[in-house]
Amino acid sequence: MGKATVIPFGPQHPVLPEPLHLDLVVEDETVIEAVPQIGFIHRGLEKLVETRDYNQFIYVAERICGICAFGHSMGYAETVEKLMGVEIPERAEYLRVIWHELSRVHSHVLWMGLAADAFGYESLFMHCWRLRERVLDIFEKTTGGRVIFSVVKVGGVVRDIDDAMFAEIKRVLEGIKDDYRQLCNAFLKDSSVKNRTVGVGVISHEDALAMSMVGPFARASNVNNDARCLGNGGYGKLADFQPVLDGQGDCYARVKVRALEVLQSIDIIEEMIAKIPAGDIVVDVKGSPAAGAEAANVVEQPRGECYYYARGNGSKYLERMRMRTPTSQNLAGMATALAGCDLADVNMIVLTIDPCISCTER
Amino acid sequence: MTLETTFVPLTVEELPALAAAKKADGWRFVQILAVNTEEGIDLIYSFMKDNLLENREIKAIQKGAVVPSITDQFLEAFVFENETHDLFGVNIQGIAIDFGGNFYALAQKEPMTIISPEQKAAREKAKKVAAAKAAKEKAAAAANAAYKAEHPTPKEPGEPIVPTGDDDAELKLAGADPEKVARARAAIAAKAKKAAEGAAQEQKDAALEEKLAGMDPDKAAKVRAAMEAKAAREAAAAEKEGE
Repeated sequence: MGKATVIPFGPQHPVLPEPLHLDLVVEDETVIEAVPQIGFIHRGLEKLVETRDYNQFIYVAERICGICAFGHSMGYAETVEKLMGVEIPERAEYLRVIWHELSRVHSHVLWMGLAADAFGYESLFMHCWRLRERVLDIFEKTTGGRVIFSVVKVGGVVRDIDDAMFAEIKRVLEGIKDDYRQLCNAFLKDSSVKNRTVGVGVISHEDALAMSMVGPFARASNVNNDARCLGNGGYGKLADFQPVLDGQGDCYARVKVRALEVLQSIDIIEEMIAKIPAGDIVVDVKGSPAAGAEAANVVEQPRGECYYYARGNGSKYLERMRMRTPTSQNLAGMATALAGCDLADVNMIVLTIDPCISCTER
Repeated sequence: MTLETTFVPLTVEELPALAAAKKADGWRFVQILAVNTEEGIDLIYSFMKDNLLENREIKAIQKGAVVPSITDQFLEAFVFENETHDLFGVNIQGIAIDFGGNFYALAQKEPMTIISPEQKAAREKAKKVAAAKAAKEKAAAAANAAYKAEHPTPKEPGEPIVPTGDDDAELKLAGADPEKVARARAAIAAKAKKAAEGAAQEQKDAALEEKLAGMDPDKAAKVRAAMEAKAAREAAAAEKEGE
């Protein structure tokens, strides 16, 4: 064995869209230990809750992350509704699920493009992002925004979708499905892609359980922590929901779980469109959260379970708002997956875990 | 299966044993969060098993108090313990991966413990509203008790309270000149009506004041100014009519 050397990885690195630093202790070409460090883009968004009332803060919440924007606004609104005992109309619950699952499709396809770019398959990256554009077009037509939608408010949603638009969404999703299956073939059957992913960065089922991992990262190790199973809001109206699981725990399994979840999300959207009831989309919310009142909630974001906590102080400003994002929970798992891998595989392992640093630091 | 959330008290001394018990029972660690309060810093440890989300709360940790790390049981907690140390200054000892206060690159130390003017104002306002509510409830209870002491027989709700002393007046009126009696009775009825109107107006004013206390100070000032202007206009109109 050679002498141990520390190689700094990031915060500026071609494979990382966001600043994450890793101290990689290597011997020859093998990583012995990886110590992650974040903290380069802490923005203090949780502190802002003191100067923005509970209705205004929803616009801050959805700016925590550009990819999980809708999920954060929905998670925040659900938590405040729980805090104040507000029941939202059923149609609003369905609309939230439709937009949230569309966000999952766009997030997963974006991530698959980045993964393709990381293993040097640039044309696949472009195909993925071209497909994602069609989802962003749906966002633009239904909300007016492509990244930040601002359609959620405490008490429901501010925009409705009419039947003609639902028909259009179904037509676009059918088209996406056909093209997406071809992309999946490249990710799951191409031998050059499999050479980079199969057996790389394995996390066993026991390790995934021991480190409380969440999201597709955990589901690829056969750990079901999918918060959608809890049936919050519109998810409770689904006829049957079975999370996508795989037992291999390697990079290939993580790609596979995400790839299949896109098709699952499209099925959920189609079911919601078929079942959505008529009626109001918002209820009036009056008053302020009581002093000392507390509420906690979990939402399944594209990257995994996100925990929200709110505490009132009797005024329209919250005393505390907390978002625990999936990446915070998965950093220990990432360090474990990196220990013992080849130096050349570090970028694939980091990408398949899909860390979101702007969410983590807020 | 629906999410069940609970908030359960915890002490610093119980924390290591709790973490070990949760680990042994197959619970998973969810997060640690801190809340800066006037009494100290509250720490909330969350664990989850199936659909149960249990939040354990340690109340009012004072500056300098030592909190043991739970990374010996849940390694993934190192992120939250370093964060709580850097943002709130909580002294957590024994963290498996300890960044020694350099986890976040911060311009200011312990930024989440700074009480902003807005937060201070919100807290004071919440206290005032709570105190006003308590005082109102206390006054209402005292008035109710006094009324019950004076009037043992319960009255129908909404019936106006006749000013005390009227019974004496009735006795004095007995045997007086009928014309005088009629004038006196009319005066007593007018007095009772005025008292009832005054009580109703007072109730209305109290409700309005409570509403104003819950509003934004600037907005409340504007509403008050508009009400004063309206009152002045009505007074002027009444004077004109009188002329």
